[in-house]
Amino acid sequence: MKKTFDLIYGFITQTQLYKSVFRHGYPSTDANRALIMFSNVILHLHPVRIRRGALKIKFTWCLGGLTFFFFILLAVTGVFLMFYYVPDTRRAYQNIKDLGTVIYFGTLFRSLHRWAAHAMVLSVWLHMTRVFMTGSYKPPREFNWVVGVILLVCTLLLSWTGYLLPWDQLALWAVTVGSKMAEASPLLGNAGPFGAEIGMTVENDVAFALLGGTMVGQSTLLRFYVLHCLALPLVATLFMAVHFWRIRKDGFSGPL
Amino acid sequence: MESVETSVKTKDALASRIKKAATQNLGPEDTVLVWPNLVYIELVSMVFSLAILLFLAIVSPAPLEEMASADTTPNPTKAPWYFLGLQELLVFFDPWLAGVVLPSLIIVGLVVIPYIDTSPTGKGTYNFSDRKFAVFSFSFGLALWYLLIVIGVWFRGLDWSWYWPWDNPYLHRSATAVTLVDLEVLLQSALHLPETPLLTMGRYEPTAANLLTWGIFLAYYVVGLTIPFLFLRHFYRRFGFIRYNIMMFLFLSMMGVPLKIFLRLMANIKYILVTPWFKI
Amino acid sequence: MLKPDEKSESPSDVSRRRFFTLLSLGVGWGGLLAAFGGGAVGTLRYMFPTVRYEPPSIFKIGKPEDYGMGVDNRLKKERQIWVVRNEKGIYVMVAICRHLGCTPNWFQDQMRFRCPCHGSIYDVDGNVRGGPAPRTLWRAGISLDPVDGEIVVNFTQRQDPDPKGTPDGLIVDPVSREQPPFFLKV
Repeated sequence: MKKTFDLIYGFITQTQLYKSVFRHGYPSTDANRALIMFSNVILHLHPVRIRRGALKIKFTWCLGGLTFFFFILLAVTGVFLMFYYVPDTRRAYQNIKDLGTVIYFGTLFRSLHRWAAHAMVLSVWLHMTRVFMTGSYKPPREFNWVVGVILLVCTLLLSWTGYLLPWDQLALWAVTVGSKMAEASPLLGNAGPFGAEIGMTVENDVAFALLGGTMVGQSTLLRFYVLHCLALPLVATLFMAVHFWRIRKDGFSGPL
Repeated sequence: MESVETSVKTKDALASRIKKAATQNLGPEDTVLVWPNLVYIELVSMVFSLAILLFLAIVSPAPLEEMASADTTPNPTKAPWYFLGLQELLVFFDPWLAGVVLPSLIIVGLVVIPYIDTSPTGKGTYNFSDRKFAVFSFSFGLALWYLLIVIGVWFRGLDWSWYWPWDNPYLHRSATAVTLVDLEVLLQSALHLPETPLLTMGRYEPTAANLLTWGIFLAYYVVGLTIPFLFLRHFYRRFGFIRYNIMMFLFLSMMGVPLKIFLRLMANIKYILVTPWFKI
Repeated sequence: MLKPDEKSESPSDVSRRRFFTLLSLGVGWGGLLAAFGGGAVGTLRYMFPTVRYEPPSIFKIGKPEDYGMGVDNRLKKERQIWVVRNEKGIYVMVAICRHLGCTPNWFQDQMRFRCPCHGSIYDVDGNVRGGPAPRTLWRAGISLDPVDGEIVVNFTQRQDPDPKGTPDGLIVDPVSREQPPFFLKV
């Protein structure tokens, strides 16, 4: 039994087809374990070796990696949700109801998306706390911390723009509360300090730019949809690339 | 073919290089391969967290309320949980403060942390005893943030009134007729200050009491900035002039938030500082 | 006494250990693969909606008395069908060209359907008389509602017999097509 398996396996791994995809053997030998870090695009984020102390789960609790994992999960479930969702105020709510009633596993995809969103906000917060408590922001890693704060803001904005999309009462009024605060910005908002003096009205202040109008309506829904599905993920990806790059360049701050 | 002496020399050089690397713990003896050690940890954590998320998704599906309608506002209207801290602040501060200035200060404060705290102590380890002030102020900010979120999620109900968890969430609470006074009104009656304005600057005509509140507000920052400078000089020296001022300004602002909440709850003071353009 | 590095296992211990190792590996990896497989199946099923936002595929088109002899064009735009009546009864042809899906037009003077896209030509029975169409026009399911006497058309129930290549074109014997559920004898 094992002999035939080895025979088949040996044959397949020698074909041109196999060797063109997998350029070396399975990482069961140290040489292959080193090679795979260079040949695999996902794994090439890692170094070949790390200090033994950096493996301690109690140091990082895998929080940074989990945040990235949740981001990927949200992107994937989000794409599937996009097959059935139209950002039109007359249709959005019905689309979400369809997901819950007539689409197989629609509820599962939507609930997974929502829970992963909560989990990502929580884990990004805990990750920031961990990085602070271990002093891993100190020089030479200051810039990476700043990039991390930018990613925190991106995460919160992603969560907030996504909140509007179901177009139910919770969504509409939660976003209205937020945009009312934007209206109260100093200088930039029509209802904030010194705003009216500069000529900010309800038709040209920062809240107008955010909402695409004077109230949360169709323009807001479309704007938030584009921000949530395209613009913010692109920005977040860009900053994540910088973030991971910096970690590899500066190395783990972990115990020696 | 090397002579014996040079081969001994290269061997010594090699030995000293290895020893140097070993003391810096950079040698391969102290490292392990990423595959399988780290990669397996990552895989297990991903599978584990996915399992938890799936469990939560099945047990507690995403909610959907009734369709959005602009003419009915649900009561209470709550922002997402991660913004409820800010929404709770709206009870005690004006929207421009609670919604714009304070969040911006929080973000700015987070960003400047590594440029203020540059001492290498505690880098890479969980360390409290060598970083007392840093850990204390960060934890204080975190605790305040979490407390506000917890209040916003579980202790606020209809009309944004205070509801204990055991209270009936569907019964409206009577509007408590607590009269709130501004600090300047308090000072005016307590110190018997004249009511005529001392200055006139267009719309703004401050009375003596109003100017006194300006004094109090600025004194809070000035005194707060000066005390460590006078009595904890080594603390000041550690940071230098610029870093110290930025950090103390942010720290004092952070401490000002629970201070104002305390003044509101204990002394019914609504505004510390009143001008026609903004009120703090 | 055993030396420190000497194992105290007997051969049966080794095989027991091997059994449990294989079992847990199997359960572990098997469970993971089953979970991924289940996820893949769920994702696939997710992509097939059970509610379609399209016009219904079964609809009523009025009573047989409403239709005269020959080809009736009135439902072509709304329902994509021609209602055709001959001496024996009524049938419904689907107004979709079998070549690449365009909508042909009926020319009463020539007694032909002609497709504007690539020039396919059909006769009144749906047979191909010219052009690149590889098969004859579909006929849709047709029946009579016993309650109100209206004609019920089933758009997605299609009659598509194999045509024979002849010098006149691709022909299906018209009489063989005049069977229920694709022909209404009135």
